[in-house]
Amino acid sequence: MTDATALPPADDDADAQAAMSWVQRHAAQPPEGHWDELRNRLAQAATPGLVGPPPAAAWEAWIRHTERLDPAALNERMRQLQDQVRDNGITYNVYAHAEQAQRPWALDLFPLLIDRQQWAHIEQGVRQRMRLLEGLMHDAYGAQDLVRRGLLPAALVHGHPGYLPAMHGVQPVGGAHLSVAAFDLARGPDGLWWMLAQRTQAPSGLGYLLENRIIISRLFPQAFERWPVQRLAASYQGLIDGLKARCPREAHETPHMALLTPGPYNETYFEHAYLARYLGLTLVQAEDLTVRGDRLYLKTLQGLQRVHALLKRVDDTWLDPLELRADSTLGVPGLLQAVRAGQVLVANTPGSGFLESNALLGFLPALAQDLLQEELMLPAIPSWWCGEAAAVPDALAQLPGGMVLPTYPAEGPCQSFEPVDGRQLHAQARADWAERIAQDGAAHTVQAWLPLSHQPVWQAGEGAHGQWQTRPVVLRVFALADAEGGWQVLPGGLARLGLPAGVASMQRGGSSADVWVQAESAERVARVSRLGTDVSAIDRPRAVTSRAAENLFWMGRYTERAEHALRLTRLMIEWLDGDAQTSPKLRQWLHALAQAHGLVQPQTPSPQASLRVFQRALVAGLTDLTHCTGVGFNLQALLNASAAVRERLSPEHWQLLNHTQQTLMAQAGPLDPGLALATLRQTSLGLAAITGAQTDRMTRDDGWRLLSLGRHIERIDALCRALLLALPDGLLRESAGFDAVLALFDSTISFHAQFQQSRTPQALVHLLVSSPDNPRSIAWVAQTLRARLRRLGHLADGATNALAEQVPPAQATLQLWPPEQVGHAEDLPLRHWLLAQQAGAGVVAERLSALFFSHSQSGTSVSL
Amino acid sequence: MRLAILHETTYDYRPAVETAHHVAHLRPLQGPTQQLISHLLSLDPGPTDGQLSERIDAFGNNVTQWQLTQVHQRLRVRASSVVQTLTLPDAHDTAPWTSARELLAYRSGQASRPEAAFVFASHHAAPHADFADYARPDFGPDAPLQAAALALSARMHRELRYESQSTDVHTPARQALRMRRGVCQDFAHILLACLRSQGLAARYVSGYLLTQPPEGQARLIGSDASHAWVALWVPGQAQHASGGWLHLDPTNDRWGWGSPGEDYVQLASGRDFADVSPLRGVLQGGTSHHPVVAVTVTPQDEPA
Repeated sequence: MTDATALPPADDDADAQAAMSWVQRHAAQPPEGHWDELRNRLAQAATPGLVGPPPAAAWEAWIRHTERLDPAALNERMRQLQDQVRDNGITYNVYAHAEQAQRPWALDLFPLLIDRQQWAHIEQGVRQRMRLLEGLMHDAYGAQDLVRRGLLPAALVHGHPGYLPAMHGVQPVGGAHLSVAAFDLARGPDGLWWMLAQRTQAPSGLGYLLENRIIISRLFPQAFERWPVQRLAASYQGLIDGLKARCPREAHETPHMALLTPGPYNETYFEHAYLARYLGLTLVQAEDLTVRGDRLYLKTLQGLQRVHALLKRVDDTWLDPLELRADSTLGVPGLLQAVRAGQVLVANTPGSGFLESNALLGFLPALAQDLLQEELMLPAIPSWWCGEAAAVPDALAQLPGGMVLPTYPAEGPCQSFEPVDGRQLHAQARADWAERIAQDGAAHTVQAWLPLSHQPVWQAGEGAHGQWQTRPVVLRVFALADAEGGWQVLPGGLARLGLPAGVASMQRGGSSADVWVQAESAERVARVSRLGTDVSAIDRPRAVTSRAAENLFWMGRYTERAEHALRLTRLMIEWLDGDAQTSPKLRQWLHALAQAHGLVQPQTPSPQASLRVFQRALVAGLTDLTHCTGVGFNLQALLNASAAVRERLSPEHWQLLNHTQQTLMAQAGPLDPGLALATLRQTSLGLAAITGAQTDRMTRDDGWRLLSLGRHIERIDALCRALLLALPDGLLRESAGFDAVLALFDSTISFHAQFQQSRTPQALVHLLVSSPDNPRSIAWVAQTLRARLRRLGHLADGATNALAEQVPPAQATLQLWPPEQVGHAEDLPLRHWLLAQQAGAGVVAERLSALFFSHSQSGTSVSL
Repeated sequence: MRLAILHETTYDYRPAVETAHHVAHLRPLQGPTQQLISHLLSLDPGPTDGQLSERIDAFGNNVTQWQLTQVHQRLRVRASSVVQTLTLPDAHDTAPWTSARELLAYRSGQASRPEAAFVFASHHAAPHADFADYARPDFGPDAPLQAAALALSARMHRELRYESQSTDVHTPARQALRMRRGVCQDFAHILLACLRSQGLAARYVSGYLLTQPPEGQARLIGSDASHAWVALWVPGQAQHASGGWLHLDPTNDRWGWGSPGEDYVQLASGRDFADVSPLRGVLQGGTSHHPVVAVTVTPQDEPA
């Protein structure tokens, strides 16, 4: 990569002129009546054959500073963009156990450009609205003066399911109820920005917009530097500083802040994990937290650690099963009490959901007059709440050209429905809606229809083809509380683009764009961005939650199980091949192993009975997640456990996991053994890379040690099992059996290096059981296990030190293979030792669970 | 009337519970029809930090919260209270019900009454056309509010069958109405939803009712149960000692201002059952099967 600042000036006049004229001639115009962001004017009916007006100042600057602006170069950037989205694993909409994988994040190439003057207006207007919303929270949970005086209908406070009486009387912890809020704005045909909606419960976008910024700014580095664009890092830093300064704590305590997510199945989980990592917050789910006394604690391997601030991405009514929805497993019993006691700063205070109602917008101008004695700077889209009889005729008059929106959210006892576009309704349907409004006016809000402004987008085509098209755009901006008791507006945002004729919504197949806000000057940008470099540096030693520890432990166990199942399956297919030298004893051993590990369905005939049927069952078992516990099953389980600790994995690691699992599952269906072997080789490479990522790329904290323990416990178990099944019947005295056991222990090479051609069972058993030089020997694995257990000695009063005794080293006096006892394998001291090791590993697993994971389960509600 | 109430709940857990958070509405209200003489809440095992945290909620109820963070196989909650109940002077309201609805409706810039908070839908009394349909015969255009409400409550008593165990706490009121049967909680939720469907303000009241043993038999300890009924706001009587709250018990067809009668004890009131459930908890580690609840209400002048 070349340093962008070292390039010659891009505004070579001739090139820039050519680019300008290309855009002017080829960029599509929005439909008539919509504001054109590119040309900064209201779109008019296009006259055929006539070239439209040139791009406006902001876009002119962007075009001038963009190197190589032609279809081939834009297509290439689009490709890079898509690669980045894929490589960073940016996803939206993860369905639980879905066949559909996560959907990649949709991002368009061109940023939404907002110049200084426009931004100054938006910024002031948003801050003013934030002050107003805070005032509403204060009143609703305090004096309730606004409702009493008739400035706000009780139906929009007490009648709204987002209003929580349980919080009545709560004092704002840290001086303000609202720490984060999102505002959706749209530019009307008049070129003004209009307020559409506000989100305060758990607004999404703060993480996605940052990813958008990172990707887009790299694709247009010069335009980004030259305009110049305001940087974002300081705003995130400000949010963290604000939470830190405002959260309640004892003088000696360092603030501990966490981000509460509903979990990996939430549609925006990617963003939760990403934001937590970027902001240096502990990513937690409800079961990680507990309330003791009036304080909130994190359950960690080190015991309970107090949490002082909680940035929540869980909707309010799910937050506390003790006082709110009893069926919620996403909440923490006692959390509301901790908030009421002022012992934890929850951003935002639970109970702000009523501020999100579509009906509220119409009341805000009068409320601003009353609470702030100010006119609202940003106009809101006109709306009519139908709960007041006097407003209904006006509302009905708007119906043919407006929207019918629900006043209340879908979840809750009140009537709710999907928004309806009045312009699309026939006379009869319109009359039906009028009747519905007459029946239950309060549940309906009529809103004027605002033609959204259109943003240029690049539609990549084949080769050197592509088009400048337009899409309707809605801008989401964020107000964030700072350390000084005010709110700052993040200078940027998330632009959401709709389908050509549609509403802008990510849920309905829309897309997104980066938002560039013009900075005052290049000097100011430099100062601010230096400030911002601290954000990732606040990464303090991360607490290992009990839940994360449990998932890491299982990651280790499933990785090992997957590897073992894979090696077994592969060897079985190879050995049971027609040409291979197999003996009845070997087949019997393989059959017993296949059954013990669930590689085939239990009723599958043995290879002695029918080799072909057994082979087919083995191949089918690879991807059978319901009846078998083979490679596919363990990879899926590994993926599930990994998803729960995704914030600890690098994007490459996460990608590897998905890729490996998908490669295998893509092969589901009848396969001949040859093809199956090819697939297994691929999967094996994937697993080797996963092991590499686990070994070299993960932080070696206590969580990692549990992962490693999980692996070693499973390895001991599998090795002991294989050897125990191999001991009787003299399998090890046969050449084929000898080789098979060696191969299963992945020790063929070690054996030949050490013993050359001396193929005695004694040598074999020495290598596999007690060799200090073979990393696959049971003694070696047990030794590592003991060492890892001792490294956890600082936890749980040193309980793991004693656990190490469960897998003792092999005594020097242990007779591994006394030749005179070969015929009586049952009596071999080795057999007893193997059984003891296997049982010991089981005890270690159970005790670790009891010591560290037992509190990571969610509660059940009881009610009388 | 002086009444002693013993309300005992026993949970047996299999497996044992490791941590538990509980919230209770077991301390009787203090109000115009009821004085609280004494109250004692005892737990076995006791709260881990030795603390019962007490507060008054947004509806004016007494709430007690506690935590158990030691392993326990059993929890016994024993609420023992003595109250003095009173009757208020009778009142007869003749204002049409529509004027109450008008008074509670929102009008821009006009002062609103705090009782309006009880007009809205709530989880256990979710709105449905069935409720409006059921209420309609008694709510003709000129019907007086008090008479209409009493008629509705009496009709419910006639047309719905009280059947213990026929529903549980999760049965929606609408289903109970369709089946025309339920327990007192269903009767209360149905009446609430019917009244609110007309734009009226009504609250759910949880408490106890003194029951009389059959002639010649002794009072059985623990044979009573928690009870529930409804309070309707009658704006014309806002100056009455009851604050205008007309209590209606459709299960027994009883009513009265401020209380259905001297033999009723009020524990708590809210939008519906969810606001006032006597005992609620979230358990970790174990599960609860059927808790055993025993309620005994005894007149104090009667030998126990």
